[in-house]
Amino acid sequence: MTKHGALSVLAHIKPGMKQDAIALCEQIVAEDVETNSIIPFKKITSIHFARFVVFNESTDALGNNVAPYLIFTTNYDQPYKNHLEELVTVAGDGLWKMFSFCEDFPENIAYNREALRRYLELKTVENAVFYVGIGHRTVLQVRQENELRDQIESFIDSQQSALRDKGPVYIRKKVIEFVHNNPTLSWAKKRAPKPFILSELGFYIKLAFVCIALVVLLPLIIPFVIAWLFLILLTEITEKNVSYELDKNHIRELVERETSPVQAQFSAMGNIKPGVIRLKTMMFLLNMTNFLAPYIYSKGKLSGIPTVHFARWVIVNDGKQMIFLSNFDGNSESYLRDFINIAGKQLSLMFCHTVGYPKTRLMIYGGADDANGFMNWARKFQTITNVWYTANKEVSVKNIFNNSKIRDGLYGSMNEKEAAHWLSLL
Amino acid sequence: MEILELKDIQGIIIRGYSNLPAAAFLLLRISDPTLAKKWLHVVSPEITSGEERKPELALNIALTFNAMAALGLNKQVLDTFPLEFEDGMITKHKQLFLGDFGESAPDNWEWGGKNTDEVHILLMLYATDAGALQNLQDKHIAQLGRYGLSEVTKLDTSVLYERKEHFGFQDGISQPTIKGLSRQDEPENMVSTGEFILGYKNEYNQYTPTPTAGDKDAAECLPPSKAKLGKYDLGKNGSYMVFRQLKQDVELFWNYMQKSTQKENGESDAKEMVKLAAKMVGRWPGGAPVIVCPDEEIKDHNNDNKFDYRSVDELGLRCPFASHIRRSHPRDALDMDRLASMKVANKHRILRRGRSYGQPVTEEMKPQDILQVKDIQGERGLHFICFNADLGRQFEFIQNAWVNNPKFNGLHDERDPIIGNHHYPSDHKTTGTFTIPDKTLRKRFTDVPEFVTVKGGAYFFMPGIRALKYLSCL
Repeated sequence: MTKHGALSVLAHIKPGMKQDAIALCEQIVAEDVETNSIIPFKKITSIHFARFVVFNESTDALGNNVAPYLIFTTNYDQPYKNHLEELVTVAGDGLWKMFSFCEDFPENIAYNREALRRYLELKTVENAVFYVGIGHRTVLQVRQENELRDQIESFIDSQQSALRDKGPVYIRKKVIEFVHNNPTLSWAKKRAPKPFILSELGFYIKLAFVCIALVVLLPLIIPFVIAWLFLILLTEITEKNVSYELDKNHIRELVERETSPVQAQFSAMGNIKPGVIRLKTMMFLLNMTNFLAPYIYSKGKLSGIPTVHFARWVIVNDGKQMIFLSNFDGNSESYLRDFINIAGKQLSLMFCHTVGYPKTRLMIYGGADDANGFMNWARKFQTITNVWYTANKEVSVKNIFNNSKIRDGLYGSMNEKEAAHWLSLL
Repeated sequence: MEILELKDIQGIIIRGYSNLPAAAFLLLRISDPTLAKKWLHVVSPEITSGEERKPELALNIALTFNAMAALGLNKQVLDTFPLEFEDGMITKHKQLFLGDFGESAPDNWEWGGKNTDEVHILLMLYATDAGALQNLQDKHIAQLGRYGLSEVTKLDTSVLYERKEHFGFQDGISQPTIKGLSRQDEPENMVSTGEFILGYKNEYNQYTPTPTAGDKDAAECLPPSKAKLGKYDLGKNGSYMVFRQLKQDVELFWNYMQKSTQKENGESDAKEMVKLAAKMVGRWPGGAPVIVCPDEEIKDHNNDNKFDYRSVDELGLRCPFASHIRRSHPRDALDMDRLASMKVANKHRILRRGRSYGQPVTEEMKPQDILQVKDIQGERGLHFICFNADLGRQFEFIQNAWVNNPKFNGLHDERDPIIGNHHYPSDHKTTGTFTIPDKTLRKRFTDVPEFVTVKGGAYFFMPGIRALKYLSCL
C-alpha cells in the first residue's frame, strides 16, 4: 500500500523566454517522452503521470496582465522526500535547464543540486483538490499486476484443452501453480500490502468527527447556509453570461496530440470570477471535496465517472485563477461528454466560479445542462499539454482494479462458487 | 411536440425506401461551379421529400464540405459548419479516431481517400426494379457533362436474400425511432428529432449546433435561426451523413469460424461455428439476439429489439461484452444505473440507411453452402450510410469510444470483432482478441482477423430542400 502525492511546481516564465521553454518541451517529445536525454521519465520510477504545461500570458477577471506560467506536475508514490530525491538525481540537469527560463531561478551559477531542490520546493504550490482514482497502488504494482494478468491469460490459452472440462477449483489450483513456478512472477506469491488498519481507522474517526460536528452545529449552520445561498443566487443573477465561439484550429491542435489509444490528459486554466463571495464559496467547496474525496470516491469513480486516474485543482495568482489537470482513459471528447452526461451537477458546483462557465442557478442547476455551452467553455480554456508522460500507458482504471482482484484471488482457499467467480475476472 | 417539416426534409432521412430495392449512388465532382448550381436548381424539384410515403422513384442529394466551398459559399458561413464535417475522414487525427489502419488506411481507398479524386456531391437514386433504376441513372449521367459535373465513381447496390448482409445476418434491426414522427415505439427507443435532423431539439433539450448564413438570399430562402439571433438556419431540416464503403471478406469470415470451432479430430462443427459468429455479432443469423437466446437460434425472437444487457447478464455469459451489438448500442450496459445508461446511450445513436453491394457468395448465404464454394470471385460488402446531427458525438463517438476502444466495458484488449481495426500503430499484433465468458472458464480467441475493410468514405451534409435551393442560388 502506498499513498500518492501530487507535486505541482509553478513559476512565471521570464520575459522573452516562453519560446525557449516551449522549444525544450518539444525537444523532449521529439526525442521520446520516456527515454529522452533531458528528463528521462521512464527512469523516474516513482512517477505515475507527469507533465509540463506552458500557460500563455493572460488577463485576469479584473483586467490585470498575468505573465506566462510553466507548470511541472507529477503524480507520484510517496514518500515525497524520495520522489524529490529521485527527480533531482535522475533529471536534475533537465529540470535545471527547464526552470532556468523561469522567474526567481538562481542566476549565473552552474548546475547545483541543492539549489535546484530549493527552487523546486520554493515554487511548489498546494493543490486545492487532489483526486486519486487508482486506489493505493504503486507504479510498480500497477505494472506487475497487469503482467500477471497477461501471463495468466496466456497460460490458460495454452492449456485450453487440458482445462476445458475441469472444475473451477481445479483450474484455479493450476493457475496458482503456474504463478508459483514462474520466476518472473515470484513477487505474486505474496499478497499486495493492504492499507494499515490504524491509518484507515484514523481516516474514519476524522470523518465521524466532522459528521458529529455538523449535526451539533446544524441549528447554527442552516440559517447561515440559507443566507449564503441567497447571496450566491444574487451573484449568479447579476453576472453576465459569456458565450464562446469555438476556435477550430485550437481544437485541432489539442486533439492531434491525443495519440494514445488508451489514455489521455486534460490541462486547463481559467479566471475565477471576481468577488469575495465567489472565492470563499469555491474554496469551501474545493476543500470539502478534497477532504471527502477519499471517502466518497474511493472505488475508482470520480462522481460516477469510472475513467479518471488522477485529477487536481490548483488555485493560483492569489485566488484569481484556477488550473485543472487530469489523466483519464479514452479521449478528451468522450471525457467531456462523460462529465456532462454523468456528473453535470457536481461539475457545475466546482467550476461555476470560473468566468465563462454556462450560467448556473444555486451552482448546480443549469450549468452543464447547456451541453453546447459547456463544451465550448471547456475547449476554450483547455491548453496544450506540452509534455505528457504516463508510466503504465496500457491500463485503464477498470483494468487496474480488475488486475488486483485477479491477484487477490491467488491466496487462501475457495469453494467451487468462489473459484468460478474469480475465474470470471479473466 | 415539435412538428417535423417533412416537406423540406429529404426522404432518405425519414425512411429507408424498403419498397425501392434497386439503388445506385453516384459520386460527383464539380468542375464548373456556375453550371453545377444550375444543375442543383434543375434537379431540386425531383428530390424526394419525407412527405412522400411510397414513391416509385426516389432521388436525394448530399454535399461534402468542399462542395459547398466550390459552389461559392463564403468562408464566414463555411466556418459555421462543425469541425468534424470540415475535416472529413482522412486527416491523421481522424484516421486514429476512426481506426482506419492497415488495408483500411485512407491511402488505399478507392474513393474519398488520400490519392483519389475529390468527391463533392452524392446523388442517391432509388427505383422499384433494375430497369427503372437504369433509366433514372442513364438520364442523370447523360446530363452531368452539360452541368459541369463529372462522375468520380458509381456505386451499385444489391438486395440480398431476406434483407441480410453478406455474412448472412439480418441487419438494421435496431433503429432509433424519431420522436417527432407519428411512429410508436418503446419509450427507451424514442430519440429526440434533433439527434438526427438539425433545427429541432436534441436529447439535451438544446438545438444541435447548425450552420447559419446572414445574407439577403439567406433571409429569403431560409428560416431564422433559433440559436443565433439575426442569422438564418442553413442546417434546418438537414442532417450529416456518414458514408463508408465496407468490403466484407465472407470467405475469411466463415473459414475463421469453421477453423476456430472444429472438433479435435478436425471435423467441422456446424452448430458451434454459427454460434461463434453469433456471439461476435450479438445476434443469430435470423436476427434473434444472443442475450435472449444464448444457446441456439429461436425464430420467434428474430426481430426482438427490447432487451437489457447488464441487468440480465452482468458477466457477459449470454452476450459477450466485446460483441458487435453490445458495444455499438450498449443500452443499459454502461457502468452506471440502468436508466442513466439508457439515457447516455441514446445520446450516441445513428439512423442507418445502408445498402449491400456485390453478389452474395450463395443465394441464401448459409455458412455450410458458402464453405462449399471454391474460388470465390468478386467483391462484396456494405455501403454503410448513417445520419446524425452531431458527427462528433454520434458516429465518431461510437466508432472511437465503443467500437475501436480496446478497454470498452472493462475489457482489456478487445475491439469490435466484426468491424474493429487491429492495425493501430500501437498494436502489438495485427489480429483481434475476442473472449466468450463462461460459467467456469472463458474461451478466448486471439487471432481474429479483420473481416471488414474500408474501401472509401466521406462525410456529407444532406441539406433541407429549401437550403439546397439557397445553395443553388449562390
